[in-house]
Amino acid sequence: MIEITDIEKIYRMGGEPLKALDKVSLSIKEGEFTSIMGPSGSGKSTLMNILGLLDRFDSGTYKLNGTDVTGLSDSELAGIRNKEIGFVFQSFNLMARMNVLENVMLPLVYAKVPAKERKKRATEALEKVGLGNRLYHLTNEISGGQKQRVAIARAIVNKPSVLMADEPTGNLDSKTTEDIMRIFQDLNKEGTTIVMVTHEPEMAAYTKRIVYFRDGVLQKDENQEPKTLMSKEAN
Amino acid sequence: MFIKENFKMALDSIFANKMRSFLTMLGIIIGIASVIAILAVGNGATEEITATFSELGATTISLDATDPEQSGDLITNEDLTILRQSIDEINYISPNETTSGTVSNDGEARVAVVSYGTPDLQYLTQTMSSSLIEGRYFNEADYADAQDVVVIDSDGAEALFGRVDVVGETIRITVQQQQMNLRVVGVVEGSFGNLQGAFEESELPLFMAMPYTTVSNTLPQVDGIDSVIIEVQSTDQIEPVSQQVVRILELRHDAVGENIYNAQNFLQALDQVDNVLNLFINFIAAVAGIALLVGGIGVMNIMLVSVTERTREIGTRKALGATTSVILVQFLMESIILSLIGGMIGLTLGILLSTLVAGALNITPVITLGSVLLVLLFSSGVGVFFGIYPARKAANLNPIDALRYE
Repeated sequence: MIEITDIEKIYRMGGEPLKALDKVSLSIKEGEFTSIMGPSGSGKSTLMNILGLLDRFDSGTYKLNGTDVTGLSDSELAGIRNKEIGFVFQSFNLMARMNVLENVMLPLVYAKVPAKERKKRATEALEKVGLGNRLYHLTNEISGGQKQRVAIARAIVNKPSVLMADEPTGNLDSKTTEDIMRIFQDLNKEGTTIVMVTHEPEMAAYTKRIVYFRDGVLQKDENQEPKTLMSKEAN
Repeated sequence: MFIKENFKMALDSIFANKMRSFLTMLGIIIGIASVIAILAVGNGATEEITATFSELGATTISLDATDPEQSGDLITNEDLTILRQSIDEINYISPNETTSGTVSNDGEARVAVVSYGTPDLQYLTQTMSSSLIEGRYFNEADYADAQDVVVIDSDGAEALFGRVDVVGETIRITVQQQQMNLRVVGVVEGSFGNLQGAFEESELPLFMAMPYTTVSNTLPQVDGIDSVIIEVQSTDQIEPVSQQVVRILELRHDAVGENIYNAQNFLQALDQVDNVLNLFINFIAAVAGIALLVGGIGVMNIMLVSVTERTREIGTRKALGATTSVILVQFLMESIILSLIGGMIGLTLGILLSTLVAGALNITPVITLGSVLLVLLFSSGVGVFFGIYPARKAANLNPIDALRYE
């Protein structure tokens, strides 16, 4: 589903150009749960942003679901992000003045889904992450773990083909971290493809495949048996 | 697109920073309130003046003669006769002159305001043209023979004689050191009503009217006529008759092209007053316009701040699928609503203000649907004009740069 070949990303800031990604090729199939690892400055976040169509690259090709996204316009890219990609950020990035339900409905607003349908689908997504009873809370009235669950509901509400998570547990304690990883594993079991950037090996342990980066170069790519968490009713 | 959602988002964002939004709107509020108040009071004043002028008569020509070099008889009694005979459209024509004097019937001296002219005067002026209650107005015979006759109003009669039926009584009046003994031939309805309150009862002037010929015979100082009032049959005759009158007078006095005779009508005077008033209104409106401009800059400023503050929000929205145009519309909507709310508050305030000011000036403010629509359209326009730059700035943000913004 994701197919990148010889991707190069070069930052030119003042002095000499810096190669953030150096001829990276990677393919991710449907149903995979992949973590991208590496120290800071390794290019893992740059890769994530390119995979998420948030950033452009200098050379190489990127095929998402068989479509070459290289020459697409900003608006076309926005449309693909809306339909095909769900984002989960480290700092949640929820809309402060909207309630939980409105936050989750936002991608559906941009997808021009009718209001009634929006509410139905957002409620379903929130029930899936165990927040069916928090629909009308403002986002500053709920805990960090709950915020990230709202963000996950928002990421999956438009049924994207891939969910991209950038250090999703970076701002959470170990207990809520487990909750979030359990939700990811459950979603993956139901068929959602997940790509997660992390620098913590404990997080990567929950995934099926680990890709290591260093200095913009893909160093290691290995499959593993994920550490399992007991599936339980999210509280 | 997304009108409802954008509207809600804009309101949320405006109300999230109530104080800031209010201060931003203040420029717009002040500008719009001033524009509305000025337009309402200005239109009210114009209507008032128009009404007053048409009451005075839209078929009246007032003719003035002024010659800085020569002080001879600029208009003579003979001129009036000729004008009346040669121009059919003239209904009434009379000198329009007033002098003042003292009446001392019982030793007590009272000020008298004496209008003098032809018998047509009864149809032409405001003060001495009300309806007769005793006797008659002075007539052509009185005029031709320069009879010592006078018409007085009932208030004057009451003041001098203590009664109204004073026809046949004699009034001794001193005008410019000349004494005249005038026989009362008629009494018209009193005109004190208008002046009551402005004077003490005993200080009220006595109003009277008499033939011009009598005055010019008695008072050597009165040389000729320099102000004439003419009534024509209809408004459209005003211009041609004015030209004709001036031409005849110029020919008779050998003064062609010397600009001595000046025919004015109330329409011209109304135009002039209107012009002055409009100039004034436009000037203040321009000042108010500057307030609006400053208000608009305030809106732009706060929108730029808002875009900067919400850079990460914009990045998130773009990540979730908002296109450039969606973000543009969102922020444009916000500045339009901000300006429009300011405009509506300003409108309310302006209506209140104009009611207050107009009340103090004793006129009725005129607020037209047109000026309300203009104001609402204009404030939305301010929102668009000053909102487009910040909105474009937001819309053109690169998603990843916006997301990374600290």
